Amino acid sequence: MTPVDHLEPTARIARHPIHPMLVPIPITCFVGAFLTDIAYWLTAEMMWADFSAWLLSAGLIVGVLAGIAGLVDFLGNRRIRSQPPAWPHMLGNLVVLVLAFFNTLIHSRDAWTSVVPTGIILSFVTVLILPVTGWLGWSLVYRHGAGVSR
Amino acid sequence: MRPRMTAARVSHLAPCLTALLLAGTAITLSGCNEGGDPKAETGANPTLPALVQYLLPPMNVAHVVGWKQGETPTVAPGLKIEALATDLQHPRSLYTLPNGDVLVVESKAPPAPAPRRPKDIVMAWVESWATSGGSTGPSNRITLLRDTNGDGVPDAKSIYIDHLNSPFGVALVGNDLYVANTDAIVRYPYRPGEPEMKAQGTTLTELPGGPIDHHWTKSLVASKDGSLLYVGVGSNSNITENGIEAEKNRADILEVNRDNGRWRIFASGLRNPNGLSFEPQSGALWTVVNERDEIGPDLVPDYMTSVKDGAFYGWPYSYYGQHVDPRVMPQRPDLVAKAIPPDYALSSHVAPLGMVFYTGNALPQSYRGGAFVGEHGSWNRTPLNGYKVVYVPFSEGKPDGMAQDVVTGFLNSDNQARGRPVGLAVDKTGALLIADDVGNTVWRVTAAGG
Repeated sequence: MTPVDHLEPTARIARHPIHPMLVPIPITCFVGAFLTDIAYWLTAEMMWADFSAWLLSAGLIVGVLAGIAGLVDFLGNRRIRSQPPAWPHMLGNLVVLVLAFFNTLIHSRDAWTSVVPTGIILSFVTVLILPVTGWLGWSLVYRHGAGVSR
Repeated sequence: MRPRMTAARVSHLAPCLTALLLAGTAITLSGCNEGGDPKAETGANPTLPALVQYLLPPMNVAHVVGWKQGETPTVAPGLKIEALATDLQHPRSLYTLPNGDVLVVESKAPPAPAPRRPKDIVMAWVESWATSGGSTGPSNRITLLRDTNGDGVPDAKSIYIDHLNSPFGVALVGNDLYVANTDAIVRYPYRPGEPEMKAQGTTLTELPGGPIDHHWTKSLVASKDGSLLYVGVGSNSNITENGIEAEKNRADILEVNRDNGRWRIFASGLRNPNGLSFEPQSGALWTVVNERDEIGPDLVPDYMTSVKDGAFYGWPYSYYGQHVDPRVMPQRPDLVAKAIPPDYALSSHVAPLGMVFYTGNALPQSYRGGAFVGEHGSWNRTPLNGYKVVYVPFSEGKPDGMAQDVVTGFLNSDNQARGRPVGLAVDKTGALLIADDVGNTVWRVTAAGG
């Protein structure tokens, strides 16, 4: 069975799917924010908390764009939607974005409690979910051929 | 093996989960808490609620509409009010010279530093709603008002000193006129009657200024014998979020030697001290202080207090004595143990920026001997608080009784700002003067029918 022809993404530029082009940015930002949270926790040096706030904001903005592109693919092609990893991939990443949204608000507090304890916990949980949803996303591509043109 | 979680089964879960997440978001964001009665936290023993930390700090900024033709603030019975001067550019503080001339310090905040984090960008945007609508002029100058015919209304107005650096405090000792710019105390040779300062100023001492210059108003007062100057230097952040190293010599009142400009820290832990004045009966130095934000609509009460030599009033480590602020790290239990509570709470977020003790006798008897306080008004509390001038009665050198509203109506019925009171002064006739930096007006309060 070759489902490849039927799993064309709806959100694409010149037949290149947009969603996988965007997702590395929020992943990098959210992992980075967890690391800078740890650095702030260990040093109480505001520079690290400021890094976290920028990383979370950038990750959230691009993450929402990636989410929109992914949702367009998800809703635009019933065959993509019906692949087993599709739903948990979508829901898991929705959780990631909601966590990042609250985490951005927490990080807008002033000084210590912008990170410790709530901020760094949310950053950690986000980083725990990312490998799972990432794995599911790459399953959609490598195993099920979502977005693969030939 | 295929994953056993079929699409159909998960799709049942999905709407529920999504709904749950969205509902959670809505509840948390709308769960804003309203402030209680400000009277409960006014006086010597304010009620301090438990500290709350927000997801989204309330930003309740009064939009500026300005004064329409003929509109004035409202005064308490027995008083009347008129505009002494209009079309000013952010008048922030006032000083009455011995010959009756009034100096109006028009001042703008120094340029903002580069944003350190996303919040700085959002806050600057929201706060820009609250700045004055009309005035885009140069400001940062001192205007002199002179009443040549003695009717109380100035008939001459001149630019006395121009091109200052965010000035605020003024003090005259003999013929030395001191202006506290945001980054230095500058001395000018004063000659009574001159409409314009001809001489250049000389720097007495530099003060903590930029590049970060969060609380930039430097309040100034001279000691009775004229040998010392006291200057208020506000903190460089709400609660150390710009790093503790940015707070060097800040949140302090400095005592400056007038001979040589050498200074020492007179008192510390005062987040943003303004309105420095000597209480006439005790001779003690008093200040009004803006306390910290974002831990609740009723925390922390702004206050007025006598300032004791060498005392520590808590900021940033604690508030109102020994209430520890968890946002500061590393904590300093050694300093918290030394922190003393202030004398008199004015309730939270009222932003007192001006204070004057009334020793005149032109206003009704009930306003004699106590202090008027100019409350610029809240931006992070629902409902709004401040935006008025209050009177705190004193007896035997201490506050005695509840703060009373004296001048109100800076907000209209839709909670839009027509003006905001800042610095206060008493003119030569004993009238109370109010600088209104949003209405760009100086108001004059006198006894009704007088």
